Amino acid sequence: MKKLILYLLLSFIVSYGSYNITILMIPNIIYKVFHYKIVNNQNVQDNELKHFNIPNDQSRDVVMPNPDFLYSTSFYDLSNGDLNLKGKMPDSTYWSVSFYKPNTVNWFVKNDNEFIDNNLDMKITLSNSDQENIIVSPVKKGFMIIRILVEKKDNKSIDYYKALQKSITLN
Amino acid sequence: MNKLSQNKILIPLVILLSIILGIYLAISSIDSYIQNNELSIKNGNWIVNPNMDLKDNYQRAYIARIGVFALDEKEALYFLASKDSDGEILSSNFDYQIIGKPPKGRYWSYTLYGEDYFLVKNDNDIHAINKENFDINKPIIISSKRKEVNWLPSGNEKEFYINLRIYNPEKDVYENLESIKLPQIKRIEL
Repeated sequence: MKKLILYLLLSFIVSYGSYNITILMIPNIIYKVFHYKIVNNQNVQDNELKHFNIPNDQSRDVVMPNPDFLYSTSFYDLSNGDLNLKGKMPDSTYWSVSFYKPNTVNWFVKNDNEFIDNNLDMKITLSNSDQENIIVSPVKKGFMIIRILVEKKDNKSIDYYKALQKSITLN
Repeated sequence: MNKLSQNKILIPLVILLSIILGIYLAISSIDSYIQNNELSIKNGNWIVNPNMDLKDNYQRAYIARIGVFALDEKEALYFLASKDSDGEILSSNFDYQIIGKPPKGRYWSYTLYGEDYFLVKNDNDIHAINKENFDINKPIIISSKRKEVNWLPSGNEKEFYINLRIYNPEKDVYENLESIKLPQIKRIEL
């Protein structure tokens, strides 16, 4: 009887711990699965920008993609130094740059209205700075998304925004 | 088998089974929250999750499951409906009309997602009605049958979701998520 109680107690403690660790780690696991998919399916390495087409019903990388957006994404890694994000952006539609931690929390977002002009010029670093165009990352590794809104889906508009999207670089 | 050998087998077995049980219960509890929308703000038939920068592990796991890499509430709000205004599950077996204006913001769009949270399959490559492609003189119709304007194809989905996105919502919107007036989704006969 005493042994049974001890086993039950052990089981309760281990289950409780496992339960809480799983809840804590679900976002990180989803992040890692997405990272794996991007590296293996899209053949994109860390610190490399991937410019995606407008999502359609075949898109399976992320749940609930917005079919009005051109997405550019990168898994960034600041282990080897700072990164520079540059590009010519649209001047008459919504666009934004957002950063996420590996637990999927969005720690930074800035949209076109908050930039001085349509020139994207940001430095991502781990060193403290209060300069406008320097983004201090709270994590060495994370994820960034650049969203460009394509309100009208005619070929001319799409080509125009895609050309701008391709101008974005991360070095 | 002596007691020592029994313990050598039983203790790791109990630990292993308990770990599996904990993982199973954790995943089930998040699934249950998703099914019952327990961690969301409810407004009519819509739910919304405003706080993306979360300290609460449950909220973070929940949002990672249903809307990973979403933005915070000042940047974008994501209203989700799985039921019509009468509380019936949305299904491509029926037709719907969206009645009323979306909350004020810089940009809005309606998008349909299947049970798997991916875009609803359709041959017309129409996945969203937004502020720019919307004809203000006509209602928004959700149907599996083709319509000329303001049409959101519902494809062949036993159940689907409608996502109403508002980019840069007005302060009055994101501060009053439980009480702001949201559009109604009415089942109609076409």
